[in-house]
Amino acid sequence: MRWITIALRRLRAFIRRADLERDMSDELRLHLELEARHREQRGLDPADAKRAALLTFGGMDAVKEAYRDARGVRPLDDLAQDVRYGLRSLRASPAFTLAVVLTLALGIGANTAIFSVVHGVLLRALPYADADRIAVVWETDRDSGTDREDASVPDYFDFVARSRAFAALAAVVDGPLNRTSTGGEPERITGARVTANIFAALGVTPRLGRGFLASDDVPGGAHVAIVSDRYWRTRLGGIAGVLGQTLRLDDSSYTIIGVLPPDVRFPSAETDVWAPMQLTATSGPRSRHFIHVVGRLRPGVTMAAASAEMGAIAGRLESEYPRDNKARGTNVESLTDVMVGGVRKTLVLMLGAVGLVLLIACANAASLLLARLASRSREVAVRAALGATRRRLAQQFFVESLMLTLGASALGVLIARGGLSLLLSLAPPGLPRREQIALDWPVLAATLAVSVVVAMAFGLLPALTGGGAPGESLQGSNRGGTASREHRRFRGGLVVAEVALSLVLAIAAGLLVKSFTRVRAVDPGFKAEHLLTLRYQLPSSRYPQSFSNFPAGWSKIFGFQRDVLGRVGALPGVRSVALAANDPLASGFTNGFVIEGREQQSAKGQAEMATRPVSADYFATAGIPLLRGRGYLPTDDASAPNVLIINEAAAKQYWADQNPIGHRLRFWGTWREIVGVVGNERFAGLTAPAAPAMYPVMTQTPMSTASLLVRTAGDPHAVLASVRRELREVDPGVAPFGVQTMEEALSDAMGQQRFTATLLGGFAAVALVLALVGIYGVVSYSVAQRTREIGIRVALGATTRNVIGDVLGQGLKLAIAGSALGVIGALGAGRLLGSQLFGVTPTDPVTFVVSVAAILAVAIIGSYLPARRAATVQAIVALRTD
Amino acid sequence: MSAPNRDVMQGTLDMLVLKAVSIEPMHGWGITQRLHQITKDVLQVNPGSLYPALERLQDRRWIAAEWGTTENSRRAKYYHITATGRRQLGQEQESWHRIVAAVNAVLRTT
Repeated sequence: MRWITIALRRLRAFIRRADLERDMSDELRLHLELEARHREQRGLDPADAKRAALLTFGGMDAVKEAYRDARGVRPLDDLAQDVRYGLRSLRASPAFTLAVVLTLALGIGANTAIFSVVHGVLLRALPYADADRIAVVWETDRDSGTDREDASVPDYFDFVARSRAFAALAAVVDGPLNRTSTGGEPERITGARVTANIFAALGVTPRLGRGFLASDDVPGGAHVAIVSDRYWRTRLGGIAGVLGQTLRLDDSSYTIIGVLPPDVRFPSAETDVWAPMQLTATSGPRSRHFIHVVGRLRPGVTMAAASAEMGAIAGRLESEYPRDNKARGTNVESLTDVMVGGVRKTLVLMLGAVGLVLLIACANAASLLLARLASRSREVAVRAALGATRRRLAQQFFVESLMLTLGASALGVLIARGGLSLLLSLAPPGLPRREQIALDWPVLAATLAVSVVVAMAFGLLPALTGGGAPGESLQGSNRGGTASREHRRFRGGLVVAEVALSLVLAIAAGLLVKSFTRVRAVDPGFKAEHLLTLRYQLPSSRYPQSFSNFPAGWSKIFGFQRDVLGRVGALPGVRSVALAANDPLASGFTNGFVIEGREQQSAKGQAEMATRPVSADYFATAGIPLLRGRGYLPTDDASAPNVLIINEAAAKQYWADQNPIGHRLRFWGTWREIVGVVGNERFAGLTAPAAPAMYPVMTQTPMSTASLLVRTAGDPHAVLASVRRELREVDPGVAPFGVQTMEEALSDAMGQQRFTATLLGGFAAVALVLALVGIYGVVSYSVAQRTREIGIRVALGATTRNVIGDVLGQGLKLAIAGSALGVIGALGAGRLLGSQLFGVTPTDPVTFVVSVAAILAVAIIGSYLPARRAATVQAIVALRTD
Repeated sequence: MSAPNRDVMQGTLDMLVLKAVSIEPMHGWGITQRLHQITKDVLQVNPGSLYPALERLQDRRWIAAEWGTTENSRRAKYYHITATGRRQLGQEQESWHRIVAAVNAVLRTT
């Protein structure tokens, strides 16, 4: 209590010190006058009375000083004085101030930018209640090695019936929908079919209206929908009256019953509408895996316990359904891991790299501060001699470094703002939770904390290096350079550390850049230039797409496909056109299959094969070479014998050196004869080896959602408008989406590698510049200190060459020591990088040699300038300095 | 709330000032004057110790200050005792009497 009173009084006294000063004068003057008058009344003449009164004070200034001390604003006054003094002294050496502030601002700015990404993506909690209790239940397939496959409908129902670990186990299927509004263009909206308990599983309650009821989620139940906050605000007017209104989705009407809170993005960042799944255990076969399963753990149940329980259930299902569930298990992961697990490593790596940049910046700033401290030792000594206490001097240094770091932080935040938008434009398209990334208060608080720690470290420097000790400094011993040996060694150490850290960054960046060039050099298997692609989904209401009724019931879809290919193919500027179930770079789905003559072997379970239904012209349009046999012909229709084209990887894997042409293979209940082999496409991403794949022709295989591929003569963007128009002509209710050129898609596919390579390249460049400044600073300072010594040596006959060699040698010695440490560090860091690298080993000798050479070059450049200056030292001038 | 004063002289001054302002609000010169009168000029309190003492007592919330005007319409700072100050004064008087009695007892034995 008492300290609060005092603190408040002190604070008030400090803030109002001008007023209080006046009050004090008034009070004391009144005292003086009253005392004088009192003495006058006792018979003294006015002048004597005044003198006598003044005598009782002993000395007006001493009284005032005692009064002020009692008021206790000394420390605050001192602080204000330190700030003023610090500002003056920093302004007096603008080059130093600018160098330190810029160096630190770069380090702090880069850290703030990266940290805001890490904070938004990794650290900020998901917008769900107890988000760490939400689990994703995947199926696994030991044969193909997949551990993140969706469940089948019957499996999901068995999971729900048999598990005890979950308070709610929900299912989700997401996909694009076409929304039609009266008179408007069809619009594509991302929707999800969900079981009624999905929001219970996520721990989300609608901000408006209600969630789904169990009665909504039965076959033939009401057509109700819940929309996202974003969609409600931007497309539906953001009014409460939206409840009860109708949405036309894929030609069906849905009544809007609720709006979700902001920030709920599930299952994808684009999802804007949710509708009940209305599923029964027989809605799909046990062999089709498309149900995404999400559950909330029952209180007290751990993720591990849930995982064990699901594993046991999967084991029982495997023995009960040996045909469909052979080799299947489950994989229970937290939702957070599923969402951000893929980028966690990359982001942590970036944070580590940018942390190194900050360390380098600090080493640099520390080195500059030390140089300044040495040149200020006289000032310090004078102040100490005039009665400044050690504490007071330390406080002065701390205040100065705090001002430097706070200035740097302010500038750093500006740099971070620019850096962050640059970062986001570079970020790979798959970066999750991108919308959560912001330079917000927690990030700024972290920046401030870092600044204060940095300032404290710098404030301690003088104490560490004995700079605060006034000792012998007044004798001017710093001219000879002996007293600063301690300093020099410490600064040398800082430069060695700086070089080592820069080298680690340079090598890491080198490895990532090299692996990026390797990824770029990968042949995707198709020709990306002049290739436009867009996707569409046909509403099942008007385009019946029952698998059991193929091909008889698919005439509407066949008609659509024929019309689109015909109309778009006839457009000017279009070379050829094709349809495929997926874009060339999308992985699509995999299928089990049986090879004729090897039924036994196949039944035992065989890896599934990537399957991409295509139109006859797919290979010509995408630019995939035919290696053997023939391509598809217009005559390969539903009435003709079923044929199949496979890729080279499939031919190699299943027929080795035999010719696969003429062999038969069965999937989806039909035998198909292999008629051709085409070149490999990279189905599983550019960095994974090309997997076996088969391309059934769409006239003999069901395909409803598809990509339209258009090979153009010129700029693919130029034909986009007319392609859209033709699609609208064919069916005005189908909204195209995912429009991109394959060059863009290819560049997106390298997004992760480009991101890490560019970022680390940038950090390494900054680090090298800082190292250059650091080496230059230390060497030129030591040249300045050694002017006399060099002068003497020149007088004794040292040549220019000797002097330059000597100074260069000094810089190189530091750089070599730093490089040795850096190489060791890089060998360790390389192991962490391992999973990010492609086509290059973490110990790639070329990268190591080039990076070390770059660092040594930087050291030579940094030392050469001061060396030149040293070489011009004239014996006489040198001896006269000081 | 507060540790006992070790410095007897300072503690004594604080007690005297407290006593002085406990009767009526007073400005600085008034306090010195009151102490001179009561002690018949035996105790001299100079401004150099009075004003720091007044600050100290305010820190402890034993007295408080307000600006007012003197009978000659001069602006002056008036100090008055607070409730806590009054309690403190009672305690200090009590312990002062005990000490005086004890010291007297010691002096009488010789």
